[in-house]
Parts: sequence; C-alpha cells; structure tokens
Amino acid sequence: MVQEQVPVIELKHVDKHFGELHVLKDINLSVKKGEVVVIIGPSGSGKSTLCRTINRLETIDSGEILIDGVAIPEEGKKLAQLRAQIGMVFQSFNLFAHKNILDNVTMGPIDVLHTPRKEAREEAMKLLKRVGVDSQAAKVPAQLSGGQQQRVAIARSLAMHPKAILFDEPTSALDPEMIGEVLDVMTELAREGMTMVVVTHEMNFARRVADRVIFMDGGRIIEENTPDAFFEHPDTPRAQDFLNSIKHH
Amino acid sequence: MKDAHISVRDALYEAPGPKTRKYIVIATAVSLAALALLVFVVVRQFYRTGQLDAKYWSFLARATTWKFLGKGILGTLEAALAAGAVTFALAFLLMLGRISGSRILGGISTVLIEFTRGVPTLLFIYFFFLVVPQLGIKLPAFWKIAAPVAISAAGVVAEVLRSGVNAVPKGQKEAALSLGMSGRSVFLKVVFPQAIRYVIPALISELVIVVKDTTFAYVVNYPDLMQNAKVLISNYDALLSVYLVVAVIYILMNYLLNKASAMVARRRNSPTITPQQN
Repeated sequence: MVQEQVPVIELKHVDKHFGELHVLKDINLSVKKGEVVVIIGPSGSGKSTLCRTINRLETIDSGEILIDGVAIPEEGKKLAQLRAQIGMVFQSFNLFAHKNILDNVTMGPIDVLHTPRKEAREEAMKLLKRVGVDSQAAKVPAQLSGGQQQRVAIARSLAMHPKAILFDEPTSALDPEMIGEVLDVMTELAREGMTMVVVTHEMNFARRVADRVIFMDGGRIIEENTPDAFFEHPDTPRAQDFLNSIKHH
Repeated sequence: MKDAHISVRDALYEAPGPKTRKYIVIATAVSLAALALLVFVVVRQFYRTGQLDAKYWSFLARATTWKFLGKGILGTLEAALAAGAVTFALAFLLMLGRISGSRILGGISTVLIEFTRGVPTLLFIYFFFLVVPQLGIKLPAFWKIAAPVAISAAGVVAEVLRSGVNAVPKGQKEAALSLGMSGRSVFLKVVFPQAIRYVIPALISELVIVVKDTTFAYVVNYPDLMQNAKVLISNYDALLSVYLVVAVIYILMNYLLNKASAMVARRRNSPTITPQQN
C-alpha cells in the first residue's frame, strides 16, 4: 500500500437536502487509489444519493467533493471532462435502448475521447469479451438478459479508462441467478486494482471484496470499518441491528 | 420479437366466452344488414336523381382526365412534403425553446405554440394570400399554401416531440452524462433519437392532417388534387362522381402514408424499446 497519496475521491462535510428531507448529513469519506469501498445500509439511508453526488448527478448543498484533489466543477465542459474520468454503473443498467451493444460501448470513446471509430470498436470488442458478452455485440439491449446488460454497462464504463467506477446497487434489479455473473466481473475488476465505490445489499460480496465497509443510516455515516471487523463485531449498535435484521431473512 | 406486439383488444379484453361469441355473431350480422341497407338507399337515390347517368361518369374513362388528376396528386404530394419538412424544422425549434429551461425562450415558444395551435389553417392561408403580397413580398402559389399549412401544424408537432422527449427514461440521460458527453451530444445522440421513436404514430397522424390541409390550395390557385377536381367539375358539370373519385384517392394516399411510415417505424424501432428500461 502506498502511503499518504492524494485520494482519488474525497468528500468533506457534504450536506444535501431533498426539500425538507436532510438526505446527507456531514459526510466525510476518502477513497484511495485501488481501494474498494462498499457502502451498505437500509433503504432511504442516503447511500445511493451519496454515490450519485460523486459525479454530480446529484448536486450538494454544502461541503466539498474532490477528485484527485480537485473540486468537482459545477457545470459545463469541465464537469463533463470530470465525469468522463469516473465511471458509473446503474441499478437499471441504462444501456442506450436505440443502440446495439457494440455501439453502446463505443459511444463514450467516440463522442467524448474522439477515439477513431475502428480503434474504439476493436477495444469495445475486447472489453465485451472480457465481461463475456462479445457474442451479443450486434443485438440491442432489450434482447439481452439483465445480467448480460449489466455486464455491458460495466464494459461501457471501462471503455472510458476511468480513474474509478461508481456502482449504484448494480445487482438490485437482477434475477437471483444473474447476480453472480455480475459480481464475478466486479470482483475481477477489484483484483486488477480498479478504484471502486459500491453501493450494494450483497453482504458476501462486501465481505470478500471490500477493503473498507461504510455503514450509513438516516443520511449519516454511522460506521467505517474493515469488512471482517464490521461483519464479526461492529462497533455501533445500529450496525449490529442492521446485520441482525438481514440475517433473519 | 414481433409477437411481443400486443393488440389493444388483447390488452383490454379477455378472450370471449360462448355467450359473448354468440352476441358478436348477432351484432356483426345486424351491422352488415344496416350497412347494406344504407348502400342500397344511397345508390337508389343516386339512380332516381339521375346521378348514375353515363354523362356524369364517362369522362372518367379518358386518359386526359387521369393525367390531369395525376398532376393534381403530384401537386398535393409536393406541397404536403414541403409543408411537412418545414413543420418538422419549426416544431423542432419550438420544442427546443420549450425544454431549454430559459424562461424567456420557453415563454416565447409557449406563446408561439399556442398561437399556431389555436388559429385555423384557413386564416394563415388568407394571411399568406392576402396580407403578405400587400407587404410587397411575392411568393409563388406553392409556398402560399405550403407555408401556412406548415405553420399551423408546427405547434402541435412541437408538443408531440416534447412529449416524446419527456417519455425517454431519465436513466438514459444520466448514463450519457456519466460518460462525460456534452449536453448537446446527450440530447442529439441519446435522447432525441429515442423520443422520435416514441412519437412516430402521432407524427404520422399530423402528416395526414397536413395532407388534408393542402386541400385549401384552391384558395391560392395552386393546382393540387382538390383544385384540379374543381376544374373537372366545372368542365363536365359532374359534382358527385368527381368528389367520390377524389375522396377515394385521398383515402388511398393517407392509407399508404400510414402503411409506409408504420413499416419504417417497425423496421427501425423493433425490439429496441421495452417498458422495463427505466
């Protein structure tokens, strides 16, 4: 582990309201290069919102979000350039419905990085092969299973060579038998050293892959711990309650 | 994936049982009988009043008649296509104004949309026919019909396009933004192409209205199908036969328009959009 480098992602005293609702309360978080941070917590705890503030799909009321030590620009070209460096994988995949699988993956590189079409296609095919859906390249998203679509979404993020990837409940919309194939791809990415922030309900994944677990409740970070410590003997009673409540299912 | 298309009937009603099947048979028989009676009464009335005399119909066997009508059809198609293209361009701009988020642009667009939707086509035509020349602007008859028809459809089409844009799931835009695409790219490459697919049926309906609106061409002496029909009527003193033939031609034109657009839509559209993509 390299010590004392600038974190890839850093949140300082971040606050956000949705109208009356205080959804993020004084959030402080830093993610180092190559680190996998898993955010867990009950629904409505603000974990998805937190994830979405990092590339400014959600704005914040106060505080600071830094990427590689630089504050996120508020709008325009600068913001777009920053977003291009941070990948995002959504719960509902959000593949471009009118484009085939290959074009979904090449869209970013061609439009944003101005990669020549041929080069973009070659790389896209490699990425699709890596996530195991290269045989589906000519199909449109609706013809693929959820698990396949989500793997394409991961390939689409990777095509931008991001510094980090945000995963916003990537398996929550999947049938149980498809969750494994997506988690496998994510596990491999983590092994290869990708910096990842993962919002998930998959406790086994958190335990196996995370470097750090963040537990959120009521818009606050309640506990920050190593996976082993968190799942064996959490420091806070609220995390204990949460873990108990999911064990009974 | 064609079987994924569910007809409205299948979606709204369950399969009929024995009693319902009996009612359907009875209702069908009664309707057919009523229709036959209506046709009989109409034809008999035509016969009694001498409308079926050969002099009213014989000129329809001449090639020159059809050549003349053909010219009219071409005139109608040209005016309708030009008007359709102009409508789309105007509607696109108005729609952009409405969704721009700018209060001023949005306000101006809303006013223009309401104005073009609220004013009857014929009034726009009189404006181009009577007022525009007085301003010293000389327009060919073609544009005196195409321009007002286009303007009067623009507001409706702008709203149709906007509803399509609103129907595109928010996640599509977010995914594109998260790749670092510019607002313009997101709209032109991701949102709008999908919006168009949602509203193709409504756009076709508007195009049919544009075709029908071009029948006002006689006001500005532009030789469309309707205008040429009027010439035939005065030449042969045959009102009924000509209008009947012209009506059939219009029905065929609009029917083909529907078929062609539906085919294009199905080919380009097919399985790409599903309800669970959100």
